[in-house]
Amino acid sequence: MRTTVPVLIAFISGIVLVVSFFFRKGTWLGDLEQEFTVWLTIVGGFTLLLGVVSITRVNWTAVKRKKEGWKYKILTLIAIFAMAIPSVLSPDWSPLFGRAEGSIYDWLFQYQMSPMMATMFATLAFYIASAAFRAFRARSLEATLLLVTATLIMLWRIPMGEWFLNLFPGDIPYLLNTYIMGGINMAVQRGIIIGAALGAASMSLRIILGIERTYMGKG
Amino acid sequence: MNFWEKMEKMDRRWVYLMVGLSVILPFIFPLDLPISITPEAQSVFDEVEKIPDGSTVMLVFDYYPSTIAECEPMAIAALHHFFRKNCKVITLSNIPLGGPSMAEAVTRDMAEKYNKVYGVDFVNLGYKYGYVAVLSGMGQSIKSIFPTDNSGTPLEELPLMTNVPNYDSVAFIFEIADNATADYWVSIVYAQYGVPMVCGTTAVSAPKYYSFVASGQFKGLLGGMKGAAEYEQLVGHNAAAVTGMSAQSLVHLLIIFLVILGNISFFLGRKGHKKELV
Repeated sequence: MRTTVPVLIAFISGIVLVVSFFFRKGTWLGDLEQEFTVWLTIVGGFTLLLGVVSITRVNWTAVKRKKEGWKYKILTLIAIFAMAIPSVLSPDWSPLFGRAEGSIYDWLFQYQMSPMMATMFATLAFYIASAAFRAFRARSLEATLLLVTATLIMLWRIPMGEWFLNLFPGDIPYLLNTYIMGGINMAVQRGIIIGAALGAASMSLRIILGIERTYMGKG
Repeated sequence: MNFWEKMEKMDRRWVYLMVGLSVILPFIFPLDLPISITPEAQSVFDEVEKIPDGSTVMLVFDYYPSTIAECEPMAIAALHHFFRKNCKVITLSNIPLGGPSMAEAVTRDMAEKYNKVYGVDFVNLGYKYGYVAVLSGMGQSIKSIFPTDNSGTPLEELPLMTNVPNYDSVAFIFEIADNATADYWVSIVYAQYGVPMVCGTTAVSAPKYYSFVASGQFKGLLGGMKGAAEYEQLVGHNAAAVTGMSAQSLVHLLIIFLVILGNISFFLGRKGHKKELV
């Protein structure tokens, strides 16, 4: 039962969405696609709620048992509820509730979360510079090709670099855009995209047909 | 230990200091560098110009707060462009982590400058779970996917949305993304509904989308801060991206310098080591 029902739901949902794609909107099967799509967004909403419950349980258990780093887990819990609770309360009760400008949620997002996320991402620049200095070596032909291409593209993407490249004969920025980005890069990217799409299609088919069951925690 | 060996073993904190200075100094002493326009950015501008004045367009905030530096200037420039043409702007996001809030803040700020009214000239639909379902479902009925806007107002109460039942009424889509949602706008919305669209994305993601530009699925592409700076120039509102290009220029040059320095010290150090062995 615990296996059959999910497999059946996956099969019916998958088949309906595939088949209804070929029917006009306004027909029973065509409209069924829309119905399923709406269901998906509703079910998805519940999965987000499940995520909140799960993270609360995991962190709360760690706090209760005073596991390593339990103080940080208290901060995680405070952060979750400080943002979540005021955002779901009605703004009719207070302008501090809801998600509009001036609300608690908005304040925490604009002045806490957003700068923190931007800072974390900006820190990468420091690590990339250090890693490039230490690890980016022309040890082989492939590494040298990568190094030269990366250097040229980095120069092309900045005004000073473009000015420098234009000191040489031939329109190097144009050549880089046409042959590296629009040529070699594009061909490789297309290969990756098509390969990934084929993989996704075959995996979807396996799930619809009940061959792939790892999403239920089974091999 | 000779000079090159010392260089190879340079403390990483010196590198961090150099990066920090390269980022900060251009903001104190701006370099005012000329920025050339790539064909992909020019196409973005030309495609928006082609939209008839007063059309309804979608501006999608599919980026996380971590990439605000690259993506937000694109959104601001796009809003300048749209509002100048009196386009009606519908914003939405497939990013739960702050997407709707960023859309709300940026759009309201810009709307104030152009005296645009919420509900009439622009609407923020907010976020709904499951981008594949959202993009697909809006093709038939936007209202069935977003019964209310971001602040909970039913769509029937917003005059702009009463005239926009689905993609048929949307003239153009401007997708700004730092992740793979841009792929789904192409494979679902462009492929099935044929709505013309352009994409603004981070410099890291941009190489992937050249193939979509070449196939005509994206009519234009803005790649990273450089793309944003190009678009700001085309729109005629130089702002954060143009200013940020000075810092980006110096950091790029620094990284190139460090790579060259690292390689010289590596090869000379290896040569010295071989001599010692002989």
